[in-house]
Amino acid sequence: MRAILLHIALLLLGFALPVPAAERHSDPDGCFSCHGLPDLQYVDENGVLRVATILKKDYYGSLHGSVPCKDCHRKIEQYPHKPEEGYVDCSQSCHVNEPSKGKAFTHKDVVEEFKKSAHGSGHAPGATKDFHGGNRLKEEKDEQNPSCRRCHSNTPYIVAANVAKFKEEFHHTDVECGNCHQGETWRNQFSGHILRRLSGSHFSKTEINALCKDCHADQALMEKVKLEDPKTQEKKPADYRWVHASDSYAKTLHARLLDAGAMEGASCLDCHATGGNRHKIERDEQVGASTHLDQLPRTCGQAGCHGYANKPFNEGFVNTDMHNVDWLRFDRLLLLLREKRLDSTWFKALAVLGPLAVLLLLGSLLWTPFGKRKGAIAALLGAERFQRVIIGSKPNKSGKKQQGPGQGLLTRIKSALGGEKPSQPAAPKNNPAQASPAPADPIPAKEESQS
Amino acid sequence: MQVQVIEKLKAIPKIQKYRYGTIFLSCLLFLGPLALLPRLAGNTDLCGRLCMRRFYLYFPGMNLEDFFTHVSVALIGVVAFTTILVFTFFFGRIWCGFICPVGGFAELVSRSLNDRWKIEFRSLPQVQIRYGYLATYLVLLPALGISACTLCNFITVPRLVEALSGGVTGLAFIFSTIGLVNLSLLFLLGFFASKGRAYCQFLCPIGALDGLVNRLGARFGMTHHIRVDKQRCTGCNVCARNCMCGAIKMVDRVAVVEQLSCMSCHECVDVCDWNAIEWTTASRNKVPKRIKKGVEIHPEPDWQAVHFLPNKAAVSDWKRVNWARVANGLIFTMATLFVAATTLLLK
Repeated sequence: MRAILLHIALLLLGFALPVPAAERHSDPDGCFSCHGLPDLQYVDENGVLRVATILKKDYYGSLHGSVPCKDCHRKIEQYPHKPEEGYVDCSQSCHVNEPSKGKAFTHKDVVEEFKKSAHGSGHAPGATKDFHGGNRLKEEKDEQNPSCRRCHSNTPYIVAANVAKFKEEFHHTDVECGNCHQGETWRNQFSGHILRRLSGSHFSKTEINALCKDCHADQALMEKVKLEDPKTQEKKPADYRWVHASDSYAKTLHARLLDAGAMEGASCLDCHATGGNRHKIERDEQVGASTHLDQLPRTCGQAGCHGYANKPFNEGFVNTDMHNVDWLRFDRLLLLLREKRLDSTWFKALAVLGPLAVLLLLGSLLWTPFGKRKGAIAALLGAERFQRVIIGSKPNKSGKKQQGPGQGLLTRIKSALGGEKPSQPAAPKNNPAQASPAPADPIPAKEESQS
Repeated sequence: MQVQVIEKLKAIPKIQKYRYGTIFLSCLLFLGPLALLPRLAGNTDLCGRLCMRRFYLYFPGMNLEDFFTHVSVALIGVVAFTTILVFTFFFGRIWCGFICPVGGFAELVSRSLNDRWKIEFRSLPQVQIRYGYLATYLVLLPALGISACTLCNFITVPRLVEALSGGVTGLAFIFSTIGLVNLSLLFLLGFFASKGRAYCQFLCPIGALDGLVNRLGARFGMTHHIRVDKQRCTGCNVCARNCMCGAIKMVDRVAVVEQLSCMSCHECVDVCDWNAIEWTTASRNKVPKRIKKGVEIHPEPDWQAVHFLPNKAAVSDWKRVNWARVANGLIFTMATLFVAATTLLLK
């Protein structure tokens, strides 16, 4: 405690002394002499009050806690500095040595991959020449491509939920592997680092989805997005299907499984960024994209997913619409009138089935108070057939021919319209015991009490 | 009006009251805002891990590993489904008739509506339709890329009940195009079908597979199934009229229970005045029990679960084609050939 107080006191005095015990937590450039101060605030050109305080506890506990400030904030040469000079290019190498190669670590691969992705194109002019979207202080509102920081805030080294698991595994490696691999370096760089990647804070599928949904679930925002036609290079507003992609995904079994806590479902990235550093999210029109028609069998047939998707005869399965707008709410679908998607099979089916269902519903509701209850009550459709096929005491062979025109719905409608009596079946003459169509058939009292 | 309703309720036979009660209870447990049982598995509906309808779908070139992946995804559903099948083997389709909240909900609604504005589906050739659709469902839908979930009552009914109780998920589903089509189907094949079980009869894959097991179980004498005593049956056809599945057919004035469709709902047992139909094991002793002064009194009934339909036509008139059998054969052959060809060729 005293040491910390002393440290703070010294910093306040402006003495940037190296902290002896903090190999991991170094501040060689003395940035904390100012940014460590509480309530370090300034008003930017837009009149927004911005907090420039870096909480040491948070920073040192974060993923980049061992990286000195100036490794990323390279443009800052002297004090005072302009806020723009604080921009970060994540593709630059930092001074942390990657343990496997001993070279300076860099996010260059990720950045290269990201640049080629749908999110990476067309950045607004920003801080650095090559990679504008690196680490903007604020997300420009009219900017449709996200920066690194949009998804990757400098998260805690181990997220709270995984601390217990990480500790346990760290202890294990410390005891078991530590017999031979001794020393702080190994502990920090190998066992700690690798364990973190294995169990520490990899995004879970639900977290990945939450990240994507952060933007893509906002329909008002998505409607403003303009997509570039890959052939004509023309920029057009995104179509309905694209705007509601997050909604339609939520209706699939993939999403429903994840929602219920079953991790077998596929997250957004499981299909849209299958390989590499998982930043290569491309439009499905793009040749080579994991969601492109040619790549779909491979994407669906990933290990642990639908292994059979690679085999022939599965074209249908592979092309199953995972963003089916027919699952979306109907009022939103009315917008489809614009998009001319009313030729969907579901609309056709609905055009036939819907009116029928409504007719029966209205009929049933109205008949309950107003309908006539004289005589036997039989179903509207198929009662004669039931009488003939199920009840008919004679085998169908003779029964069918003798039955003649029954008093079916059509006959009744005809008689009601034409005012003439339906032709009586010839059956009663020949076989009075059997042939009596349902409406006239006295149904036993027992059955009436049943229904 | 009220008196009528109460009298109607009173007139319901005891077992049926019990059955409606269990269905109502299972609706409360499985569906709607409570969904107590699904919630035990972290679900609010009957999908995902609880799904009993997807793991047996056949995808061309599928191997055992893929199958086990499917099983592991829907593990609870698989366990439930297996339990149902085992139970069915010994006791008939108790799940379908007494518990199933999906078919049961439609039935309860249908039974509370008037009989006039309904469609009578029971006389259609249900075995052919059901197993034809089952073959399509198992083999063709996956290959065509039509998601099995799009025509699933196990989505529709829970969502509908949820929507009726003011749920948001349910409403969003019901007012989608797919939801509206499914709702129409539920109306046409459920609420406005006579006795409300047309969906179970024609489209339910669980019911179709359950029916096969039921038929198999009925072959064994020690299992409980709906059985008819031919000697007692008077051919009054009350059971056939009341059978909600259309499983009883009068053949030569004797009731014949078709075990592929029978749900063991006991309605026929209740309405039979002659005790000629019963949910029972086959009697072991077929010798008449009491003979008094040369008069046979109440012979020990010969409970038969499976009647071989008297196919006299086949003997006397060989030209007569039994189209039902032809259809069944075609469905079975086509599905088997497809599966065999894809498994053998795509190795």
